[in-house]
Amino acid sequence: MAEEKPNLRWEAEKGLLKKNPVFVILLGLCPFLAISKSVEDAIGMTLAFGFVLLGTCLVTSLIRRWVPRDVRIPMFVVIIASFVTITELIVRAYSPTLREHLGIFLPLITVNCIVLGRVEAFSSKRSVLESLADAIGMTAGFGLAIISISFIRELLGTGGIKFFGYSFTIFGQPASGFLLSPGGFLVMGGILALLKKLGVI
Amino acid sequence: MKILKPVLALTLTCIVWGLILGYVHRITESKIAEAERKEREKMIAEIFPGCSFEEENSIFYCFQNNRLVGKAVEVETKGYGGTMRVLVGINADNTVRGVRVLSHNETRGIGSRATEPSFLSQFENLGKEQLAFKPQGQVEAITGATISSRAILEAVKRALEYG
Repeated sequence: MAEEKPNLRWEAEKGLLKKNPVFVILLGLCPFLAISKSVEDAIGMTLAFGFVLLGTCLVTSLIRRWVPRDVRIPMFVVIIASFVTITELIVRAYSPTLREHLGIFLPLITVNCIVLGRVEAFSSKRSVLESLADAIGMTAGFGLAIISISFIRELLGTGGIKFFGYSFTIFGQPASGFLLSPGGFLVMGGILALLKKLGVI
Repeated sequence: MKILKPVLALTLTCIVWGLILGYVHRITESKIAEAERKEREKMIAEIFPGCSFEEENSIFYCFQNNRLVGKAVEVETKGYGGTMRVLVGINADNTVRGVRVLSHNETRGIGSRATEPSFLSQFENLGKEQLAFKPQGQVEAITGATISSRAILEAVKRALEYG
């Protein structure tokens, strides 16, 4: 079987905008909306998510020739869950504050459809390098989406931004509804509409 | 046997990852326990500055110059987002010395305001009878975060009764 020449640059770039996992593929929105309330948490979530996605894509791509079709999903889920558990243990050991902020959504990365989606659709069929490029791109896209949305939500919802000890306040009468899920949907819809209008996605 | 291959593959995956997880657990276990202990000790030291303390049945007795000045009790309570762990420092005369939240899952920016010093400092020096929301008591609940406020109040009440 003649494999196409892998285009690593495209695989890494597509996740950022053209196939952004949140804005275009619209996957994993539940934890996404729950975490995108503060920029700090969003960065923590991106790191945890990126670690799980990179690890899982690497392993599934390595073992892709030995995975029987019938049990591929359970095998992928075992691998994803293991990486999530490893992440959780490490975060609890080294950054209890981050663990406190991410709460239940850290273990819930296991059932995040973006991860299983990338494994099933991409890394279980492609070479290791392509899979890693794809995972990096998807993480960047996820990070871009969650950090931009959480910036808007935190700004409108609390009136300022708190960022690793630094904080500033712009206005004193925040609309705390932006911190709730409906506010998340509003911001998300607004950004989607804007990006569509501009023709970015 | 066609069935054998998937069964073997899945079993092998589980065994390998089980082993890896066991290993990671073993190397992080002590770190995690230490991080939790440090967090608690830091908060007790905030409530009782300059004290040494001894643990007995998960109550921390705090001594200053070998004299018992109070104790710290950890109470679990139910907030808006699930379990909250609240640390309550109690003076020897059974009034509140200070309150700290060890862990919580309240909504950031809304319920979480009830875990911040501006709310928690109200409890300082209150006795059992004053532990109620205004006008019956001395505690001002946070608008929009009634459930979280009540959870903390209940925790402090329970800590006083318990001790």
